[in-house]
Amino acid sequence: MRYRGGKMGISAVPGSGKTWTLSLLAAEIVSSGKLAEDQEVLVVTLVNSAVDHFYQRVSSFLGERDLIPYLGFRVRTLHSLAHDIVRQRPSLVGLDDNFQIVDEREANAILLEAAQSWLRSHPDELDVYLDAGLNEASLNRVRRDDLPPLVRDIALSFMRYAKDQRLTPERLRQRLDALPMRLPLAEMGFEIYQDYQRALAYRGAVDFDDLIRLALQALETDAAYLERLRYQWPFILEDEAQDSSRLQEEILQLLVGKDGNWVRVGDSNQAIYETFTTADPRFLRNFMLREDVTPRELPNSGRSTLSIIALANELVKWTQEAHPVEAVRDALQAPPYIEPTPPDDPQPNPDDNPDQIHLVRRRFTPAEEIQVVADSLQGWLPNHPDCTVAVLTPRNQRGFELVDELRRRNLPYEDGLLRSSTSTRLSAGVISDVFAYLADPNSPRKLAQVYRAWRREESKNGISRKKVERVMELLRKIERLEDYLWPTPERDWLAELEAAGVDEQILSSLEEFRRLMRRWQNAALLPVDQMALALAQDLFNEPVELALAHKLAALLRQASQMHPSWRLPEMSEELDVIARNERRFIGFSRDDTGFDPERYKGVVVVSTMHRAKGLEWDRVYLMSVNDYDFPSAQEGDTYFAEKWFLRDHLNLEAETLAQLKAALELDEYRWYEEGRASQDARLDYARERLRLLYVGITRARRELVITWNTGRDGDRRPALPLVVLQDLWEVLKNKSEQA
Amino acid sequence: MQLTESQQAVLGLPLNASVFLEGPAGSGKTTAAVAQLMQWLEQGTPGETILLLVPQRTLAAPYESALRSPQAVAGGLVQALTVGGLAQRMVDLFWPLAAAQAGFAHPHDPPTFLTLETAQYYMAHCLRPLLDDGLFDSVSITRNRLYSQLLDNLNKAAVVGFPISEIGQRLKSAWVGEPGQLRVYDDVQTAVDLFRRFCLEHNFLDFSLQIEVFYRYLWPLKACRSHLFSTYRRLIYDNVEEDTPIAHDLIREWLPQFDSALLIYDWDGGYRRFLGADPESGYTLKELCESSIQIETSLVAAPQMQSLTRRLSKSLSARRVQVEEDEQNNSLAFEAVEFDLHHFFPQMLDWVCERIEHLVHGEGCPAGEIVVLAPFLSDALRFSLMERLATLNIPTRSHRPSRSLREEPAVQCLLTLAMLAHPEWGFLPTKFDVAYAFMQAFEGMDLVRAQLLAEIVYRRKDGWPVLSSFEAIRPEVQERITFLIGERYERLRRWLAQSAERNDELDHFFSRLFGEVLSQPGFGFHTSLDAGRAAAGLVESARKFRWVVSSMFESDGAALGKEYLLMVQDGLIAAQYLPAWETPAREAVLLAPAYTFLMSNQPVEVQFWLDIGSRAWSERLSQPLTHPYVLSRAWPPGRPWTDMDEQAYEEESLYRIVVGLLRRCRRKIYLGLSEYNEQGYEQRGRLLTVFQRALQSVQTSERRSG
Repeated sequence: MRYRGGKMGISAVPGSGKTWTLSLLAAEIVSSGKLAEDQEVLVVTLVNSAVDHFYQRVSSFLGERDLIPYLGFRVRTLHSLAHDIVRQRPSLVGLDDNFQIVDEREANAILLEAAQSWLRSHPDELDVYLDAGLNEASLNRVRRDDLPPLVRDIALSFMRYAKDQRLTPERLRQRLDALPMRLPLAEMGFEIYQDYQRALAYRGAVDFDDLIRLALQALETDAAYLERLRYQWPFILEDEAQDSSRLQEEILQLLVGKDGNWVRVGDSNQAIYETFTTADPRFLRNFMLREDVTPRELPNSGRSTLSIIALANELVKWTQEAHPVEAVRDALQAPPYIEPTPPDDPQPNPDDNPDQIHLVRRRFTPAEEIQVVADSLQGWLPNHPDCTVAVLTPRNQRGFELVDELRRRNLPYEDGLLRSSTSTRLSAGVISDVFAYLADPNSPRKLAQVYRAWRREESKNGISRKKVERVMELLRKIERLEDYLWPTPERDWLAELEAAGVDEQILSSLEEFRRLMRRWQNAALLPVDQMALALAQDLFNEPVELALAHKLAALLRQASQMHPSWRLPEMSEELDVIARNERRFIGFSRDDTGFDPERYKGVVVVSTMHRAKGLEWDRVYLMSVNDYDFPSAQEGDTYFAEKWFLRDHLNLEAETLAQLKAALELDEYRWYEEGRASQDARLDYARERLRLLYVGITRARRELVITWNTGRDGDRRPALPLVVLQDLWEVLKNKSEQA
Repeated sequence: MQLTESQQAVLGLPLNASVFLEGPAGSGKTTAAVAQLMQWLEQGTPGETILLLVPQRTLAAPYESALRSPQAVAGGLVQALTVGGLAQRMVDLFWPLAAAQAGFAHPHDPPTFLTLETAQYYMAHCLRPLLDDGLFDSVSITRNRLYSQLLDNLNKAAVVGFPISEIGQRLKSAWVGEPGQLRVYDDVQTAVDLFRRFCLEHNFLDFSLQIEVFYRYLWPLKACRSHLFSTYRRLIYDNVEEDTPIAHDLIREWLPQFDSALLIYDWDGGYRRFLGADPESGYTLKELCESSIQIETSLVAAPQMQSLTRRLSKSLSARRVQVEEDEQNNSLAFEAVEFDLHHFFPQMLDWVCERIEHLVHGEGCPAGEIVVLAPFLSDALRFSLMERLATLNIPTRSHRPSRSLREEPAVQCLLTLAMLAHPEWGFLPTKFDVAYAFMQAFEGMDLVRAQLLAEIVYRRKDGWPVLSSFEAIRPEVQERITFLIGERYERLRRWLAQSAERNDELDHFFSRLFGEVLSQPGFGFHTSLDAGRAAAGLVESARKFRWVVSSMFESDGAALGKEYLLMVQDGLIAAQYLPAWETPAREAVLLAPAYTFLMSNQPVEVQFWLDIGSRAWSERLSQPLTHPYVLSRAWPPGRPWTDMDEQAYEEESLYRIVVGLLRRCRRKIYLGLSEYNEQGYEQRGRLLTVFQRALQSVQTSERRSG
């Protein structure tokens, strides 16, 4: 807090209060009077969910100082910052005023189309990479089912890298043409890249990666604009700097300028986004070594018990000193090691309880592991209603499998972190149900679903749920829906029910429902966004839901502009993917804008380890810690990225990137060599997985359970670091017991 | 009407004088000019000898309503014209005198005037092959916007008065961005040259050619001048500041010929700059007038409103200078503002509607005295507000220029029926479109039955859409759909089949479909005024398309109709705006974009400003292919457009818009504030900051005094 200006790099350990410290620092600067009326402190963080968190924190500090809470600072993710920069001057980078941003799903769809069209025009091109042992049937299956998504994924990382290097398709073409020999994978990447960019340009759209590239371009091309932004943001505070990419660093460096003020806080041991992006913890490490940067450490953490701290530190130490693969030893860095808080600290570490550390040695099949963890939770939950607990898995799918089991056992759970928050999905699902019915207005079954969606509050409690079910049953049995919704004097279903002596409450509910349905049927003629809003006004009361409906309406509007031929079924599907969790959609509920584990006491939070970053629970389960999800570059390890149908354990994504890098390489002795990139990718992956395990362990406050399973084919072993920790833990535990 | 002293002064001027009347908005200038017009008519001046010139037709509204009033003297028709309208008339009239000289390939054939949509159509026609070859590859822009920005460039060249061959070079020389992007402006030049050659080859005149031919080739001719000079003897030219340099040039040369002239200039106007308006060049007309009058007092704003205007204009015009604090002024100023901070956008809308209800039903404020303004009025926003206010029994009307014809459900219905009537065109509407068309076509048709009917009678056969007859349906299903509807369906189906034989032009088809079927009793458009209006809009669009395009199309009307529908699908046409569709009574709350409200030039009692965090209040519309400032007359060729210019522009335009709105408000401004905007983003536009700072200073001074 003694920071007054200049550049500072802070290495912080998990639980050391980075966010709190940065927020306080921001508030200090705002209230110090250093800023002119039109200046702001710019806080840059990694994910959307952290933005709101920062806002609340800084605002409350400002409120305590009698200042207007939202003034004088701005919190942005890199993407929203890039959007701010481009939005102000779109024509600087060749964009029209109403340019659109395609989200991941839309981008993926365009890319898949480009990949498929490439495969169609080059049907045999990839055959040289396929395993020669594949029989005709497998070969056909691979070509049909496996290659398109693989080529799409390869193209995605190819484009990411090209954009990170700020290579337009045009410039890339020039590089490729200048090469002494043809690089087939790079050619493939280029063609899809070109196709994809054309498709975006035609729609007047950019993707998230473009946004960042274009922001940097805008800053570089117009010095006066850059100067103005420098004036506007004289202080830049950056959180999670270990996940910074090259372009992020360049953008911020430009905004800071030579003598500007820049505080970067991060923990390179928690850099776990490398595999998906162009982020690299080396950027932060190198920054800390710069002459003009003051390095600082935040080593104290009051989050976990001493035992958990010891485990995490041991993992770092072993990695650095004893990892069998020397090249991987730089994966985790120390100092700083995690140190407990000093005795008089307001945030003391929880009391130690070594008995609640379980590094389970037993081998389980994947199904058994689910059962064991669910059993354990079933026993633990009733005794700990005021504690928080999370189960963290390496992949989404594994999380969903556990959720299924928890649901089966009627155990309370929250899976919002796996994808969109539960309430967001519910709201999207409600509108989607109505859309689905309106697309098929003669379906009694879909009408009944709409009824349930409309009466969703009552469906939560037992007695009224029965009533809702009763009405649904009645609705499902209607033969001719028009007799109910638009009756004639001769045929009126509701009147018949009345005559049959059906309960009056049910009748009046059906009558009200009919009134609504008639209105909604008429709304079907409206443009899709207005239709969604019209429905929302009848369906939702909560401000959060209504705000979400507005946002969904905007999404549908964009979809209808991109796909003019879409009608209700496609729109309903679009909403359904949000409801079904296949598309992460940032809504407005508290879980979307900042997940707070404390709101889920006595409830099992299921999340991936990635999404759990920054969060903490009293008890944490880490599942699937085997040598498939956590390989260590050892003989016999297998890798997700090395597809079974490819020859020689090639990681085609890595090979394609290597060809791209070779095309950009000026040194002719560093030419592309097949297979080398696949080997390097194993090392990178092993490093990242060590950090992921470290992140997982440091989520736990008091209790930690780690399990592993034998995988689909039953031949997986426990991850090497888990075995090492188990051994170390026995020693540590024995020592402490003896002591 | 009771006029003020300064307004009286205008009327008191000698009959044969030219007068320059200037002042801020709300000072009663137009009222004085209307009185002048009426006085001329009362004194026996024939209406058709008075030229009422305005930069945009909406600005003539106060004159037109006075002329329509019962008190108006009958005496010939006073017509409001824009310079564009005048140009078109003159070109039409004197075509043979200019056609060859202007370079048209067939000077002996009549000219064809292009509307904006037909111009876009032909622009698309010219560019299609080049676009496929990579022209404009480096810009991300939809086709629609691409064409309209290219046409904008041509229009700018015409209204500013430079040759179109300079467009690319002018844009290039102002560019400070990445050099690679310069290629775009070469592409722009290629495109506009190509389009111009195409127009000259086919006797087509887009707006730019109409202006150019008139001003460069006709206006210098004696015949044309003597026609104009003898036709018009008196001039009223309102909102001079909103007109283009060419318009000002024209009036500069013409002014001495009028017996009397009244030019009206609004000090802080210039809202149409992006359309080429040039207030500075307009102001130079002042020195040519024999006398000038200034009116400064606002007749509109209450004292607290005026105080607020002063307070805000101060902080808007001196951004980085600390605003002096005048506490009394502050608290008075903020009596004219009411605001409430909300978390979410819909909550803010609820608050707005609740305040409006209180104003209308509680305080007796006429609904017509309330406007709800936003920098942009999205469909969703418009819809949400209208729905909410409708449930409170408050009538609304909306001016939203970008509402497109093809989004009207009634238009959709007509388009679908046109596809069904012309199966040979190969359009295959979805069964949803057919069901929705049925729903609208027949009175009393609901979605359940419409879908049922569509499922049964609508088939695709050999790639053609086919409607089968009602009689062929099983009786029990006939009964479900009802025989009444079955009968109407049969009538429609037979009519569609017959029309296929008649082979009408598409506009005739629409017009007859509406007149002979849909507007008849038992059919859906019978009682719907809105549907009727939308149908009329579509007929007009299709007709203009035919007039212009048929000369190019060798084949019969059918193919032309197909072309029209294709263009609609591409969003190229019928994306045009519905003609002004005000509810006849002005007794309704107006929902409008701020700019549109300013251009209607009608003060009101109360204004609601929504979305004030949006940057759009101050930002220039970003157009990668054109640039209203760089292409303006005042811009020195070769000077780069820098970020400083952008900033200066934003400051100026925010100042103009805020002051313009405040001067058109009598009593109170309500600010709708929400942390998140419609799309869920948190916003930090300059207008919001200006208000926040002002409010913080009020808070501080209240704390100090309290």
